[in-house]
Amino acid sequence: MAKIEFRNVVKRFGTVEVIPDMNLVIEDGEFVALLGPSGCGKSTSLFMLAGIYLPSGGELLFDGHVVNEVEARDRNVGIVFQSYALYPHMSARDNILFPLRFKKTSRDQALARVKATAELVRVEELLDRRPSELSGGQQQRVALARALVKEPQLLLLDEPLSNLDASLRLSMRTEIKSLQEQLGVTTVLVTHDQIEATTMADRIICMRAGQIEQVGTPDDLYLRPSSLFVAGFIGSPPINLMAGEAAGGTVTVGGAIFPVEGASGSLTIGLRPEHLRFAETGFAGRIAQIEPMGREILYVVETGMGAIRVLEQGSSVAHSTGEQVNIDFHPENSLVFDTQRQKLITGAHVRAPD
Amino acid sequence: MAAQAIPMASTAASEPTVDWDALATRARLARRTKATVLYAFLIAVSLPIILPYFWLVTIAFSAKTGVAETAVLWRSMAVVVPAVIAFWLSAALAQGRRQLWIGLTAVAAVAALAFAVLVGPDLHLGNFIFLWEPDFASVVRSRVGEVKGAVQFPNVWHAFGNSILIAGTQTVIVVTVASLAAYYLSRFQFPGRSSMLRSLLVLHAFPVLTLIVPMFLMLYWIGLLDTLSGVILVLVAFELPFAIFIMKGFFDAVPWDIEMSALTDGASRRQAFVSVVLPQVRNGILAIAVFTFIRGWEEYIFVFTFLIRNSNWTMSLYMYWVRDDVMGVDYGVVSAVGVFYLVPSLILYMAAQRYLMQMSIGGVKG
Repeated sequence: MAKIEFRNVVKRFGTVEVIPDMNLVIEDGEFVALLGPSGCGKSTSLFMLAGIYLPSGGELLFDGHVVNEVEARDRNVGIVFQSYALYPHMSARDNILFPLRFKKTSRDQALARVKATAELVRVEELLDRRPSELSGGQQQRVALARALVKEPQLLLLDEPLSNLDASLRLSMRTEIKSLQEQLGVTTVLVTHDQIEATTMADRIICMRAGQIEQVGTPDDLYLRPSSLFVAGFIGSPPINLMAGEAAGGTVTVGGAIFPVEGASGSLTIGLRPEHLRFAETGFAGRIAQIEPMGREILYVVETGMGAIRVLEQGSSVAHSTGEQVNIDFHPENSLVFDTQRQKLITGAHVRAPD
Repeated sequence: MAAQAIPMASTAASEPTVDWDALATRARLARRTKATVLYAFLIAVSLPIILPYFWLVTIAFSAKTGVAETAVLWRSMAVVVPAVIAFWLSAALAQGRRQLWIGLTAVAAVAALAFAVLVGPDLHLGNFIFLWEPDFASVVRSRVGEVKGAVQFPNVWHAFGNSILIAGTQTVIVVTVASLAAYYLSRFQFPGRSSMLRSLLVLHAFPVLTLIVPMFLMLYWIGLLDTLSGVILVLVAFELPFAIFIMKGFFDAVPWDIEMSALTDGASRRQAFVSVVLPQVRNGILAIAVFTFIRGWEEYIFVFTFLIRNSNWTMSLYMYWVRDDVMGVDYGVVSAVGVFYLVPSLILYMAAQRYLMQMSIGGVKG
């Protein structure tokens, strides 16, 4: 198990700077997620941890030791790829055995380890099959077993769930999470799927264009996003963002006037769909579309400031398309961003128009 | 026309009878006609390719010294051509799998019987005298009375061995160098990579015969003229570009992930290459191995130019000199040598056909 540290890490490919300056500490036994859109440098960071890419600058530390130059094979890192990267010409057993081939383990011992690890991820019945004879979920488990068999000090998961179907993804999520808790191995998950990140990780590192936008618990990122990017990236259905101008204690957005405290200038108001509710007061709109989602219902409401998403708990549709409604919210739940700097203005809130 | 079109356009219910059976019969007939015509065409175009080989084999097993007669040839044709047509007809007319097999077996049986009766008595192994009699040229000539002036032939097995040696060594070198070079080209960025790739193709397009005089001089100066290793080097040089190009396509198809995974699993770069990457390109290696071997086996121009002593003869040179020496006397022996020369590459092709087919699928990718 290891504590991981990025100190001013830089990664360039030719003249392209993928990661300009990365600073990050991952505690021993922690489960963190690197979250961001594709091309944000999260996989690059992962491959630097694995030792496949050499950092172009800065220091990468495992337990306080600089490992920049340490070969991938000496780092004792387990990795699960998006494609699983199982060796197609080997049986599942040989796949899981492969990392032990390079260690001073006797064959009997190694086979015992394979068996134990296979039982851990519940693939002991499938050991004689080739990867092509396994389903996606089974391949995923075998890949996990292969990463875990050498008892790595660091487990890296590169979009491990994105090739699975929805229901399998749900169960694998739970399984990986509980496995990680059981083994206590420091784990880094790379994903572009915010649900994966928020459900599995203790801490989320939200990245954009090679830079860390925000580090925090899933709650932090959801309730107190530090920037417009994080606010927009986290949450499904996505947050409602409305840009307007503040003057004399109010923000004017597309005809609606919101009283504001603690901020002025060009502002962007952020309102989560589930924090909005239909009421007697608030800003007006017309329901354009209704999307029942089972436990909750998503209403798309046409207002003066564009389409606003409202999420209502419950499974019965109480409104109809074309209906005129007023939308209200609790001021505590509103987020106010500085439009220029794209940053959250802490402590600033807006109230719904009366 | 209009009278037909109107009921079609109106509701289907008003059209009481659709003769489904008639439609099915028509479709079946059309399908069968198409298949018959296709097979007729294929047989017609394959005849000019197959017949010479057929004749070669027939002559090799039937011709006699000093007798230039074609009766056996025509008799064998009289069996083979009707047999092919009968095969085709039974395939076209058979109503099911069972009938097809019965038909084909019957045709094969009749053809075999006819062949045994018409051609069988003329078949003999005498033309393969060169396999056990190194000085067969004199023996053959003596049968027609002219003993002197025969070429001193080496033992045919010696030429056979030389050919195996050339083709085999060349194959080992080409496969080793090509897979390493192609892996490097596929995986690493280095200055001049793209121009190297382009020149690989250009090199292959170069007509090698234009280089034969400079090659001769170079081999002479190096001191490798009239040695097998000289020819092997030349052949390797000309075979490599294409082999590298083919192998690069195969390596390109191996995902990076697998290799990265092997590296984090504790393998060194070399171990990852050997235990994870190479098994993925096994078919490519087999394909270039077979092609290179056959290329070396049938090599004629270079061995003819660069090898002089008869102890260095390969099968193609042996074939050439047999033709030169006894063609007028005994073309049965010439054919027999041809058959002997043909068999190894035929066996190799048949054994490796599966992998050669893959080359066009997996191999050709820039």
